[in-house]
Amino acid sequence: MDKAIQVQDLHKDFGEVYAVRGVSFDVQKGEIFSLLGPNGAGKSTTISMLACLLEPTQGDALVMGHSIRREPMAVKASIGVVPQEIALYEDLSARENLDFWGKMYGLRGAALKRRVEEVLEIVGLTERQKGRVSKFSGGMKRRLNIGIALLHRPPILIMDEPTVGIDPQSRRNILDGVKEFNRRGMTVLYTTHYMEEAQELSDHIAIMDRGRVIAYGTHEELVKIVGELDRIDLTLNADAELVVDRWRATEGVHQVSTEDGSATLLVDDSNLALPRLFEAATEVGVRITSVQIREPNLEAVFLHLTGRALRDT
Amino acid sequence: MKALDVAFKDLRQAFRSMAFLVFGLALPLLTSGLFYFAFGGSASEGKVELPVTQVVVVNRDEGQGGFSAGQLLVDTLQSSLPDVLIVTEAPDAAAARAAVDRQEAAVAVIIPPGLTASLFSQQQATVEVYQDPTLTLGPNIVKGLISQVVDGLAGSQIAVMAASEQLGERGVTVDASLLAEITQRYADWSRRLGDQYQREENPILEVRSPGDGGETDGDQLARMIGSITAGMMVFYVFFTGAASAQSILREEENGTLSRLFTTPTRPSTILGGKFISTFLILTVQVTVLLVATALLFGIPWGKPLSVVLVAGGLIIVAAGFGIFFISLLRNTRQAGVALGGVLTVLGMVGMAGIFAGSAPGTGDAANTLSLFTPQGWGVRGWQLLLSGDGSLTGDILLTVVITSALGVAFFAVGVFRFRKRFAR
Repeated sequence: MDKAIQVQDLHKDFGEVYAVRGVSFDVQKGEIFSLLGPNGAGKSTTISMLACLLEPTQGDALVMGHSIRREPMAVKASIGVVPQEIALYEDLSARENLDFWGKMYGLRGAALKRRVEEVLEIVGLTERQKGRVSKFSGGMKRRLNIGIALLHRPPILIMDEPTVGIDPQSRRNILDGVKEFNRRGMTVLYTTHYMEEAQELSDHIAIMDRGRVIAYGTHEELVKIVGELDRIDLTLNADAELVVDRWRATEGVHQVSTEDGSATLLVDDSNLALPRLFEAATEVGVRITSVQIREPNLEAVFLHLTGRALRDT
Repeated sequence: MKALDVAFKDLRQAFRSMAFLVFGLALPLLTSGLFYFAFGGSASEGKVELPVTQVVVVNRDEGQGGFSAGQLLVDTLQSSLPDVLIVTEAPDAAAARAAVDRQEAAVAVIIPPGLTASLFSQQQATVEVYQDPTLTLGPNIVKGLISQVVDGLAGSQIAVMAASEQLGERGVTVDASLLAEITQRYADWSRRLGDQYQREENPILEVRSPGDGGETDGDQLARMIGSITAGMMVFYVFFTGAASAQSILREEENGTLSRLFTTPTRPSTILGGKFISTFLILTVQVTVLLVATALLFGIPWGKPLSVVLVAGGLIIVAAGFGIFFISLLRNTRQAGVALGGVLTVLGMVGMAGIFAGSAPGTGDAANTLSLFTPQGWGVRGWQLLLSGDGSLTGDILLTVVITSALGVAFFAVGVFRFRKRFAR
């Protein structure tokens, strides 16, 4: 069996709210697979179903060959979940946390003790193992949060937006850690709304929006969806809504996404498009203060497929 | 095994929590201690240690027919509590009052002239008690003794009048010496009655309360404190039960509960561990409180089997109620409000029988009302135990059974609600 995870037409609704609509994808063993999408796309709901926290309304998934509907205990034994929010017992020490969670994963005795020491080493908390978690820095808590998911040496690590709200250094440490876990043979399912993370880490990416997978493939395959289009990022001195209609009507412009005083556009040729964009802006009294022309990337793919920027909710 | 891991983890967290140490252990002991020292802190082996009080007496009563009511009063003050009252005589009223003003004496008793004569006539005589205003206990003892003598003298006055009337009807002439003899005999009898009552030697009159069984004052005091302590213990144990069960809400909000559900551990095991931890925490709390109050305040809880059964019933109902109560709430913010309001009201109603149980007219109603709360059943078991000889009776056993059944019922509903809440 080469597939670590096979997601088969998963659906989840909460009454009138459809969080996940027919999601299907496969995660190969040993790869890093990213679910990329804005907030509310259905990534966390999908992860929750795979972690057997939520029952799918329809569909199924196989995790290391075990059905999430019929064999939840076997599925849970195969995965280590790193939740988005830090989930630790703050009034216990790092070691006590790992001891307890190790027991919940079925480890006992000498094997537990050995593994706790290994994980403390992996996450760099050996020196602080007896310290109360409440006294830890945010970065230390994040590391311990990840370490707990590694205790039982799961073949699959599921990480739900682990870098939200943290400083760049800690973020870099986490991304390096993910690569290291993968290098040691772990399959990683990683959700994020940061395009650059998905780009840096992933062997395969599924882009989600409004409960559906709208694109799936490697980074290169996804970027080709955009074709030869150029991406232009503009910063303005006024609300971009004042000029967006004119830009959409401009020849050679395919997609426009605005956010306050900035805009992202996909155009056939940036050299031809730019003068027209400047002219349109001038006509309505808007001044363009900076211009960036980028290679097509995942954000451009999202924009092309949805008409919205990846950071839009 | 995993359920025990969850339970012991919760226990460890509870014992590291200042809230549990303060509200679960310190406050109940402190509250009981306050009652103990308010009602019986000076008690020692059933005897009350009273302060020594200096009394200055001026006796201006002339007596009549060989009897002196004033001298009777002085003799009573000197002989009744010789270890407590040090009685000296002053030459006159002014000297006596001056002694009190100089704080050389706590009380001055000024016996007016004509006190004895007033017994045989309709004249009024007043015994003046002049006291140090900063003191209460010693002067009150003196006033009590004086009241006792005055009551006796009033009785003797009635005896004299009745004797005069009856003797007169028989044609006997009643003279002053006969009246004095009647008065003296009555006074002697009255004083003998009082002495025998106080010294408990073949008393002519013995006052008993139901269920005394020969107990000392100290024993009765310990039972009274025990009743109040039991109420306090039940009050706080129910709070601890709900606070412990509240850990489910806390873990839900912290994310650790959903993380637990991602491990290969059944939700029923996780929840079961939480319920076990509530039970264990309450067991520790009740055990500590029972042992500490027995050692510190001498409360005779009862025979070991009885105590274990009543304590067990209390733990079961408090744990079950706590789990049920928390299952009704959505988050810890709701719990904070509900715990303070609802549990306080239920606890006070549950203790109604302790504070109003013996009051005429309202006692039965208070006891009945308290049984509409689970706390009331918890208190009832201890009340029955303390009012008896500590043995297991049919009433106590029935109360334990009902209390435990209530606890199991609460637990079952709470578990049902939680399982529904955390179903996938």
